[in-house]
Amino acid sequence: MEGFLIFAISILTLAFVYVILCLALNIECGVAGMWDLGIVSYFGVGAYSYAIIVAPEAASYQHYLFGLESNPIYGIVLAIILGGVSAYLIGLPSLRLRREYFLITTIAFSEVLRITFSNENWLTNGVAGIYNIEQPLKSYFSPDNYIVLLFVIFLCFSVIVYKMVNKLSFSTYGLSLKALRENEALAKTARIEPSKQYHSVYVFTGCLAGFSGALYVWLNTLIVPTQFTPNVTFFVWTALIIGGIGNNRGAFLGAIFFVILLETLSFLNLSAELALVVSSLRIALVGLALILILRYLPNGLLREKPTVL
Amino acid sequence: MDIFIYGLVTGSILLICALGFSMTLKTEGFINVAHGQMLMLGAYFTLGLTYIGLPFLIAAFLSVLLCGVTGLAFQRILFKPIKSNGILVQLFTSVGLAYLINGLVGAIAGKRMLSFDIPISRVVKVGDVYLVTPYEFMILGIVLATVIFLHIFLQYTIMGKHIRAVADNQDLAKIRGINPDRCSDLVWFIASSLAGLGGIFLGILGAVHLNMGWQQIVMILSVTVLGGLGSIYGVMLAGLLLGFAMEFGLLFVSSNYRTAIAFGVIILVLVIRPEGLQSLWQSKGRET
Amino acid sequence: MLTVTNVDKFYGGVKAVENVSLEVNKGKIIGLIGTNGAGKTTLFNVISGFDKLDRGSVNFDGQEISNLLPSKIANLGMIRTFQTATGFPRLTVLENLLVFSENNNFEFYKNFLNKNEQNKEQIEKAENLLKKFGLFEKKNQWVVDLSAPELKILEFARAIMGNPQIMLLDEPAAGVNPALLEQLMEIIQELNGEGITFLIVDHNLRFICDISDFIYVMNDGKLIAQGKPDEIVNNELVIETYIGK
Repeated sequence: MEGFLIFAISILTLAFVYVILCLALNIECGVAGMWDLGIVSYFGVGAYSYAIIVAPEAASYQHYLFGLESNPIYGIVLAIILGGVSAYLIGLPSLRLRREYFLITTIAFSEVLRITFSNENWLTNGVAGIYNIEQPLKSYFSPDNYIVLLFVIFLCFSVIVYKMVNKLSFSTYGLSLKALRENEALAKTARIEPSKQYHSVYVFTGCLAGFSGALYVWLNTLIVPTQFTPNVTFFVWTALIIGGIGNNRGAFLGAIFFVILLETLSFLNLSAELALVVSSLRIALVGLALILILRYLPNGLLREKPTVL
Repeated sequence: MDIFIYGLVTGSILLICALGFSMTLKTEGFINVAHGQMLMLGAYFTLGLTYIGLPFLIAAFLSVLLCGVTGLAFQRILFKPIKSNGILVQLFTSVGLAYLINGLVGAIAGKRMLSFDIPISRVVKVGDVYLVTPYEFMILGIVLATVIFLHIFLQYTIMGKHIRAVADNQDLAKIRGINPDRCSDLVWFIASSLAGLGGIFLGILGAVHLNMGWQQIVMILSVTVLGGLGSIYGVMLAGLLLGFAMEFGLLFVSSNYRTAIAFGVIILVLVIRPEGLQSLWQSKGRET
Repeated sequence: MLTVTNVDKFYGGVKAVENVSLEVNKGKIIGLIGTNGAGKTTLFNVISGFDKLDRGSVNFDGQEISNLLPSKIANLGMIRTFQTATGFPRLTVLENLLVFSENNNFEFYKNFLNKNEQNKEQIEKAENLLKKFGLFEKKNQWVVDLSAPELKILEFARAIMGNPQIMLLDEPAAGVNPALLEQLMEIIQELNGEGITFLIVDHNLRFICDISDFIYVMNDGKLIAQGKPDEIVNNELVIETYIGK
């Protein structure tokens, strides 16, 4: 296949991982109005859950738990479950807080988790990470075909998640979340119990983020703790803001737009030195795009619109 | 004893880094994520100026001013026009700015770890007690002087009083004939200068690298929230407290968990006292 | 149906509400007046569960409610309003009503598993209410785009949607022009005729006297007088502390 086409397809495949993360963030922060800067926590938990279940047994120079080399399906299921469980646990103390206080607690938790990932060698092989995690079904396809297959699978996943999140956003449950976002005190008088709604949407977000973490490892075949810095959180937020916070289509589009913006320059065939410069410049480009979009389209590419019933 | 001194040094630097951030939070009302990159900019400006041959101290001084002016420019060009669009737009504009600064500095200076070209200094020994290096001693002195200066400025000068008035209630300040734009300009200048100063301190004690802004901003956020969102004195206390907590914590866990200790403390404090440290000395006033 | 007995509420060391007892009988309109800072809103917060009381009890329909969550109290049929009527700004007018419909199920998994369409019946009810209050044309607009009078009216439509037994109105007359106030009074009286009980807090003495069956007067966190409207306007203590000067 043509180089460019393969490149385009693999970028979109990566974008679908971000789409899921972005949709998860949207229902939590766009629809329910929470100020979460810790979504990378559950992304990381999901990724590590998948990795230690699916990777082969640790070699003599490595340490990590399990290494069951089991069916990736179990890895994904575990990633979803543990993503949700960790969100449930972190939510217990932090959901009592609002706005800035919630924001700082979630980002603090995500840093504590990342530092734990890098230091608890017995669990995660520390900063060295885990490599060569085999991709499911890989042996049945030629490399080119496998890239297309991944694209199709990840596309399906992200569409399914989109449908799910969208259905939920426009359900009575979604209505209660929006009511809480708009006016928490008034929402209480409408028989809505904030802690219950917040906790459930937080766990749901955790499950989805965990799921996308598993897909991320599937795609990359490796996992290192530096993949889970607050940078991921800011990236996803940026994508959501670009796309249009509160709008699920916007979240979908924003994630794709963002990944294309970030990755396209890496297609250029450059000398190593120049490549370093370009890799910095694309960060600057993302920054510039974000500033300009907020200046001229403060509500993002697709803004949240009134729901017509 | 040395834990106490290390804690004091760590805490003082945190405090300087967080002070400016909490000033913009208080007067402008949003979380300025680019503040971390201003730290980095201060360190890189100094590097650049020494590179073209200026002595270190002069380079450092100019960098602080340069940071202030850069901050002022950002306020005028980027933040002032979008002020009416709400805090989320301002916050993410600052995220965009952070990326922009980070990317540009990375493209120009590269991704290597760098350090200032200053002689390595020995720890001063008094009797049997090892005290700090002259650098650390100097930093402590500058921090103290800065804090005192800022206190006098905010409490006793007209401009300082205006800034506090705007921070308390923008509309009321306007009615009293205070020009909020001028206050904003000044706050941005001071905040960005302080950031530059903090960045230079970090560079003196450690290394200068591209990620220092991102690493510090999380810490800065924590100090600010712990100090009670925009309360300058709360931030001072929180900075020192976290500095001590990190150094004391090292007695119990490995140094890899140094920042994790700080975050642990923050989580704990917020869960027990959701309003941050400020609530210790301010009883919650409520209208009836 | 609502009995407040010996309620105290402190903030820091300050007594916001001190030893207040009052009684709201079914089908009545009860007024509560007092100057700013008299503790009226605090009392409202305590009754509706937004604040915990420090002493005393609140009894609604034979049930102690002083330690229940606001959502639970709302579920018993008590709906309150707030001083600033903003509604849910970025929900449509129709959605603002539907949030309050009685048979809403907000459970996550119910909504996750079932095909959860908005109940036709409830939408129809909401639309009829909007027609009645003249807001039907705007049903699909965000509430943030409504005018202040429209927001006031919407507040009633929203409360009715929840089928309350009792409505607690917090300063309904504040910032309302005379024509609109007339309209609001008509609405309140009509709803009262349909069996809804009211407890109304305001500092507009004329409005409270015109509409209430019985009036309590608060000052500095304490009840200083109670009685029928004509008794209140002639009560010397009230005239002195309230109308005064």
